[in-house]
Amino acid sequence: MAPRISALTLTVIALFGGAPLAAADDASLGKDLKATIALQGMPCDQLVQSKRNGDSDYTASCKDGNRYHIYVNAQGRVIVQKL
Amino acid sequence: MRRLGIAGFLVVLSVCGCASMKGTGTSEGSRAAQVPVPPESVPQSTLPPASAPPSKAESSTDNGSDQSSTPAKASDAAPPPPPPPTPVSPASPPSPAKAKPSGDTRPAKQAGAAAAQTRPPGSSRSPPAALPPSPSSPAPAPTSAPVASRALNLADLEQRLRETRAIGVFTKLSLKNQVDDLLNAFRELYRGPDKHPSAELRQRYDLLLLKVLTLLQDGDPPLAAEIASSREAIWSILADPDKFAKI
Repeated sequence: MAPRISALTLTVIALFGGAPLAAADDASLGKDLKATIALQGMPCDQLVQSKRNGDSDYTASCKDGNRYHIYVNAQGRVIVQKL
Repeated sequence: MRRLGIAGFLVVLSVCGCASMKGTGTSEGSRAAQVPVPPESVPQSTLPPASAPPSKAESSTDNGSDQSSTPAKASDAAPPPPPPPTPVSPASPPSPAKAKPSGDTRPAKQAGAAAAQTRPPGSSRSPPAALPPSPSSPAPAPTSAPVASRALNLADLEQRLRETRAIGVFTKLSLKNQVDDLLNAFRELYRGPDKHPSAELRQRYDLLLLKVLTLLQDGDPPLAAEIASSREAIWSILADPDKFAKI
């Protein structure tokens, strides 16, 4: 019984240990995307959602309703396209 | 006894779990490549207002002209005018930890032959088109030694810009695009008869620098300060056709 409990505990700890990692990744990605949008001179008060479409290709939704397609084109330029 | 062992193990595990949170920053570079599908509600943290640029080139994109031909490898040419006797480079900061900005995925497409030559052996990375870093120190003297130290400073600044974690991958690439655009504007100017940079160019330069500083000031204040203090030195390079040609 004891080993079973400890295994369960370990699983829980592992899960909670990894969660902050993913959250931090999301946060910094959101920050990156928002800064990219701002650098292109487009409005985005707060990024509420971002969806990865592929490598270096995202769709971002802002709280103010603006949606953007952010990607790197073949020439290596970061493109922010309003949707 | 056995319970004690299990308890100890759990403590170690939880400590490791906490420690793993700190390590997240390291993955910044590779994020673009392997991002976990970022689901929703990304909590937005204090993003600087990042002044909206008037640059027509970038948002509408595909100004592809500059891309392949933008070697903004700021390396050797950076002779700040006032030559004090000491050829030392005082402001050369400790070389940053080698974090791989792997996210800068594709365009490492710089030829940068000159840059490669003058680049210090420590910084082996390919010369990119980051902000043309400037000599943060007034160093020059006619000998070759000061030139080397200056090149080292430039490369170091460039390297630090590329490696800083204060700016994300997309943002870095976007900044690089804008630096390339500005450098191309200067190239075009120097192809013509009038070699004097216009006020508009200066404004673009100031705006770009402002963006960089805004992005850096919270996450990497030392680098921001160094770049800010190099503003005029960088401009002196850009505004001088001879110096600019050596970039």
